[in-house]
Amino acid sequence: MKRILILLSLLALPGLKAEVVRITLPLETAVFKPGSGAQIANGQCLTCHSADYASMQPPKGLDFWKAEVQKMKDKYGAPIPPEQIDALSAYFAGNYGTGAPAPATMAGTSASASLDAKVLAQKFGCLACHNVAVKVVGPAYKDVAAKYRGRPDAMEKVAHQITHGGSGQWGQIGMPSFDQFTPAQVDALARWVLSQ
Amino acid sequence: MNSSSVRRLNRRDFLRSAGLVAAGLGALPSARIFGQTVTLPFAHGERQMATYPQKRSMILLTTRPPQLETPFSVFNEGLTTPNDAFFVRYHLAGIPTEIDSDAFRTEIKGHVNTPLTLSQADLKSFEPVEVVAVLQCSGNSRGFVQPRVGGGQSGNGAMGNARWKGVRLKDLLDKAGLKAGAKQVTFNGLDKPVLATTPDFVKALDIDHAMDDEVMVAYEMNGQPLPMLNGFPLRLIVPGYYGTYWVKHVNEITVINDTLENFWMKTAYRIPDNSCACVAPGTKPASTVPIKRYDVRSFITSLSDGQTLTAGQSVEVRGIAFDGGSGIDKVSFSDGKGQWRDAELGADLGKYSFREWKSRFTPSAGEHELKSRATSRNGQTQPDDPSWNPSGYMRNVVETVHIKAA
Repeated sequence: MKRILILLSLLALPGLKAEVVRITLPLETAVFKPGSGAQIANGQCLTCHSADYASMQPPKGLDFWKAEVQKMKDKYGAPIPPEQIDALSAYFAGNYGTGAPAPATMAGTSASASLDAKVLAQKFGCLACHNVAVKVVGPAYKDVAAKYRGRPDAMEKVAHQITHGGSGQWGQIGMPSFDQFTPAQVDALARWVLSQ
Repeated sequence: MNSSSVRRLNRRDFLRSAGLVAAGLGALPSARIFGQTVTLPFAHGERQMATYPQKRSMILLTTRPPQLETPFSVFNEGLTTPNDAFFVRYHLAGIPTEIDSDAFRTEIKGHVNTPLTLSQADLKSFEPVEVVAVLQCSGNSRGFVQPRVGGGQSGNGAMGNARWKGVRLKDLLDKAGLKAGAKQVTFNGLDKPVLATTPDFVKALDIDHAMDDEVMVAYEMNGQPLPMLNGFPLRLIVPGYYGTYWVKHVNEITVINDTLENFWMKTAYRIPDNSCACVAPGTKPASTVPIKRYDVRSFITSLSDGQTLTAGQSVEVRGIAFDGGSGIDKVSFSDGKGQWRDAELGADLGKYSFREWKSRFTPSAGEHELKSRATSRNGQTQPDDPSWNPSGYMRNVVETVHIKAA
C-alpha cells in the first residue's frame, strides 16, 4: 500500500506525464429492505442504480412512489412490466415512505407457478442485468455456462447464486438474492442458464 | 487507513501493472464504504461516510452511480475546495473507470466548416485561460426544501469552488468555424446509461452563450489534472451556471442548427418560468424554462449548528458568499438580536468565486440564531422565507445557524 502511494505522489509531480488513470469503485453495500415486492425492486431497479437511491428519499406516500416508478419506466426506460407497477410502488411507499406495506398477495409480487425459465427471467428482471450472449451489468449466460461446463457442482452453484445472490465473482456490482422462486423454478432457471 | 484506489500511471507502468494482475500480484487497493455515519438535519438524512478513488472521506449519497457530498466543514478550510473533497454527481451508472489521456479525443463537429478531433496535447496549443468559479449542483440543499421533494437529497455540500484551467470554448469553435444558422452547442461525455432505453446525458448551451469568452473546457482543477470522478481529463466549465451544464469527460461537442430537446433539456432541470422560479408549495408551474444561473447565497462556515460558545467572549464569525456572476456587493450578519451589520469582505478571487466574509459578535448567555445575507452587485439578495418549486432547485433563503452560549 505504502509503495503505491509513493508511486502516486511521484507521478503527480508536474513534468511527469500522466497517461492512464484507472480507478476501482467500492463494492456496493446498500440492499433493498426485505418485504413483499423487494424481489421486483431487486430485479428492476438495481440494473441502473444502487438501493440507496430509494433510502435517501423523503418520507412520502404511495402517490409519490407511484410517480417515481412511472418516471423510471417512462423517462428512464426501465423495462418494468405494467402489472408490477402497483406492487413496486406499494413496496417503496411501505418500506421507505409513509404508505402501508404491500400485501403479500398483491398482483405482480408472486412468481406464479410458471416453470418456463425464459418467462420467469423476463418477468423478474433477470434479463434487465443479464443477456444470453453479452455482458450487461452481470455476466452473459453463455459465460456462466462456459465457466461451469463439466463441473458436477454447476447446478448447485448457479441455483445458490439465484436464491442467495453474491458478489465479487464477475465484477464489482453484486447480484441481489431472488428468493421468491419455488425450488422447481430455481431448478428450471439454473438449467436454462447452464444450457446457453 | 487510506483506501484510495486510484493509480495514475504512465504507459509502461500500466503494462507492468497489467502483467502483475495476470500474475495475481497486482490487486489494487479498493475504495471503501465506512461503517461511520452522519445524519443530515432532515428526515431520512442518515448517510454513510465513504472514500472513493482520489477522494477523502465524504458523505455518500448514492453508491452507483456515485454521488458524494462535501462535508460542510471543508468550506471553512479555504476559499477553494480541495479536489479530494469536491462533490461528485453522476446521473448514469456507465461511468468511465479507466482513461488513457493520451488516447482521449474531443470532437468538435456538427454545423461547422472543419470538424476537429482534438487530443489533450492539441488543446494545450490553444491559449490557456483560468477562472476561479463555483460549481453548484442544481439540487444542492434539496433535503432542506419544505415540503420535501424527490431527487438527490443533498445537504449544503453539493457545491465547491475551484481554479479551473483550460481553453475557451469559443477558440475551439472559431477554429472549427461555425456555419451560418448555428443555434446551439451540445455536449456529451464518456458517461453513459446502462440500458439503451435510458437517455444519454447530453446538455446544450445557446450559441451566444457558448461563444461568450467565459465558457471553457478545463484540463486542470486547482493546479492538478481533474480527479476521475470530477470529469478527467476534460470538463466543460460554465461559470455562474448550475452544474448540470458542466459536462464531465467531454468528448463530443456538436454545433446544431436547432434546439436540443432531449430528456435532460426538455423535461429535467427546468424551473418555473417566472421571476422567483417558484410556485405555491405542492402546485405545478404553468410553464418552465431550463435552469440557468445561480441565485445569490451565503453561509456561515466557522460555526456549526448546535455549537456551544463562551458567553461574554467575542468570537469571529466567518463565511462564504457567491452568486451567478455579478459578484458579491455586500454581506450582512445578524446575531439574532434583530440587528444586521455589514460584514468585512475578503479577497476578491473573481466574480464567479466564493467570497469570504467576516464579522464578530459577543454572545450573551442563552441561545442565538446566527444569520448571513448576501447582496449581489446586480442587486439580488437572499429572502427571509424560502421559495418552493417541484424539483427543489435554487434554494437561497437566508440560512440560520443555532448556537448556545454558556
